[in-house]
Amino acid sequence: MGCILYTDNYKILGIDTSCDDTSAAVITAEDKILSNIVSSQSDIHKRYGGIVPELSSRRHIEMIWPVVNEALNRAKTSLDDIDAIAVCYGPGLIGSLLVGCSFAKAVGYAKGIPVVAVNHLEGHVFSIFLGKERPDFPFISLIASGGHTSLYIVNGFGQYAELGRTRDDAAGEAYDKVAKLLGLGYPGGPIIDKLAKDGNPKAFNFPRAYIPGPFDFSFSGLKTAVKLRVHDLEFKGQNKKMGLLNDIAASFQSAVVDVLVRKVEWAIVKRAIKRIALSGGVAANSELREKMLEMAERRGVDLFLPSPYLCTDNAAMIAAAGHRHFTAGNVASIDLNPKAYLPL
Amino acid sequence: MKKIITASPEGTEGWGFKIGESLKIKEAGIVFLYGDLGAGKTVFIKGIASALNIPKRDVGSASFVIVAEYETSPPFHHIDLYRLERDDDIEALGIWEYIDSDGITVVEWAERLSEVPEEILKEAIKVRISHCNENSREIIIEGVPDSLFA
Repeated sequence: MGCILYTDNYKILGIDTSCDDTSAAVITAEDKILSNIVSSQSDIHKRYGGIVPELSSRRHIEMIWPVVNEALNRAKTSLDDIDAIAVCYGPGLIGSLLVGCSFAKAVGYAKGIPVVAVNHLEGHVFSIFLGKERPDFPFISLIASGGHTSLYIVNGFGQYAELGRTRDDAAGEAYDKVAKLLGLGYPGGPIIDKLAKDGNPKAFNFPRAYIPGPFDFSFSGLKTAVKLRVHDLEFKGQNKKMGLLNDIAASFQSAVVDVLVRKVEWAIVKRAIKRIALSGGVAANSELREKMLEMAERRGVDLFLPSPYLCTDNAAMIAAAGHRHFTAGNVASIDLNPKAYLPL
Repeated sequence: MKKIITASPEGTEGWGFKIGESLKIKEAGIVFLYGDLGAGKTVFIKGIASALNIPKRDVGSASFVIVAEYETSPPFHHIDLYRLERDDDIEALGIWEYIDSDGITVVEWAERLSEVPEEILKEAIKVRISHCNENSREIIIEGVPDSLFA
């Protein structure tokens, strides 16, 4: 691939505006993170007020320059030293994606910096390369987040075979919706994970959906089952019972984790692949990490887990996939348009 | 107005398919879906989409992306307002532009729309889905000709 010399000076600016957060990062071509700013997790967000992320693309417009500047400052660099801009162009909310893409194209054009377009899911796949331990190809990649739950075989950069995906709700979405119906707040993942630690995972037998497509997922029925059970408990006046929330959280979480672990296990057995990588916000879940590790040890395969902060949406992962596109010569033209629906 | 009881997700999807077929003939339309979490709104929409030749597997929850656009002929827009609680956010989404545009627009959690212009409300098909038990659902459909139920 390519003839570009890798040096520490080769820098890529990554931008992600696919959902609620505005994110910008600077990394090197050796996948070293120099900065990685996510609006809701940064001081900038506080300066601009508001704790709950707003969904409007207006918010991204307000945030994009401050977030990019912060990323450049933290990396002790400037646009003059950026060799390529990698921007997420989908899938996601179209109005939000437009902000990132328009910004990247405008800055790229004005400063003469090449722009590369990155699929958000490809970013998640390559988030694993931002860590110390990196898998060889091929590996099984599970992306589980608020918007996606998909399983791929990654044979190399640009070579992805989808094994399955969710037919309804994403795993992270099930967490968010269950947390909301239990009155627990947003995002649901960390809250339920914490409550589950003091709950009995066998208190309620929630359904595990092993649907016909062997690698497809379904979490909608689980969400509905939790909802119906909660109503039932309220009706019987048992909803105030001590530890009930913990038991519901633990039982729900074990249903999600069982399915995710089982499907990955099937994939490594059926496809005889010895490496697994997790990514997406749900990959930060403590029980999923623990149970996946147990399975990997039992099966004698290597498990690669990004740091929790690289599991959730961030621009460093966009830059990680982006510099590989850049090296491969995949530079976007000025008429790059974002896409809400964009399979990998 | 018509009230239907379905016994399974397949039954709910089947009624979505019927509505989808009628929209396909008109090549346009708006469907407002009302109903609680887990009522079967996405299942119903899978039915509509499959009438438009969109593979069922490609239609999932749109809660995260809010708008899922399909470049079919006619174009199909699946909008999910679950995460939008403020009128400002709904306005900023450009929902009325989608509804005014060519093609078929389906809106989940339509109860989140605080003010719907009279002419849109008149034109829209309204579908209210509620739980009877684990698999059975009550579906109330308004705004379609009675012949659809024959």
